[in-house]
Amino acid sequence: MARHLRFISRTVMVQNGDVDAAYKTLNRILTQDGIVDTVKRKRYYEKPCRERQRKNFENCRRIYHTEMARKIAFISRTNREDPWLGC
Amino acid sequence: LRGYYWSGLDCSFNVTFVLSAPLNGNTASLCGSRALQRTICSSAIRHQEKKASSSAKTAKDFSYLPPLPGHDSALRWGGKKFEDLPIVHIKATYNNTHIQLTDSAGQSVVRTSCGTEGFKNIKKSTPIAAQTAGISAAAKATAKGVSFVRVVVKGLGPGRLSAIKGLTMGGLEVVSITDNTPVPHNGCRPRKARRT
Repeated sequence: MARHLRFISRTVMVQNGDVDAAYKTLNRILTQDGIVDTVKRKRYYEKPCRERQRKNFENCRRIYHTEMARKIAFISRTNREDPWLGC
Repeated sequence: LRGYYWSGLDCSFNVTFVLSAPLNGNTASLCGSRALQRTICSSAIRHQEKKASSSAKTAKDFSYLPPLPGHDSALRWGGKKFEDLPIVHIKATYNNTHIQLTDSAGQSVVRTSCGTEGFKNIKKSTPIAAQTAGISAAAKATAKGVSFVRVVVKGLGPGRLSAIKGLTMGGLEVVSITDNTPVPHNGCRPRKARRT
């Protein structure tokens, strides 16, 4: 980011000389913000038709995964209030 | 867009301070952040000045965020403020890793790479080569009297982490790690897709 102020964003301080933990934190932030993904994808050109296919696929995948997670969470409910309270 | 990349970190800090005030709560909640905290923070909100002023300066208070030049923080490394520390630029390409140490103004001090360490061709694109380059760069830097250093990493290559490890193994103290990987907002068209 040549036109931005330096050392403001994408920066992690190292605590007690623990470089590994700081690097892990930085990596986690970058992946969560989608930067690692973007950099890998932009290494080679992605044609617009391929981009539309990929976006469509990722949309469907996201819907499927959220619905499946919802279903599993619903089926595996373990913390319920006692239905036979008092008996 | 200054605060864009700090969305997740900012919000988790806010939530931490509001919910509880443990001594080492920051690191614990950050490393073991729940999904709830992550899904809440998806907007680009920047509260760094407010956060820095509102964060209590307890004995063990540590912030993952760097001290801003305008904001007077009491942190000093070797007597220097954060913005006066020398910078190590690590360019981790897919075929090689370059390490250049500059002072805070930008004057180059030390320059090493996997190629200058004697590796050739494919051996340059290995983490071990990056580590040796880091060690030699740290040795040359300590010979010139540098101790604390900020690291700026550019690129996603094999030597990204091992170069920093090499710096610490060589004796330099890493104070902060910045990622300066160039992300075009759809600028130049990259080369065509490889078909393997």
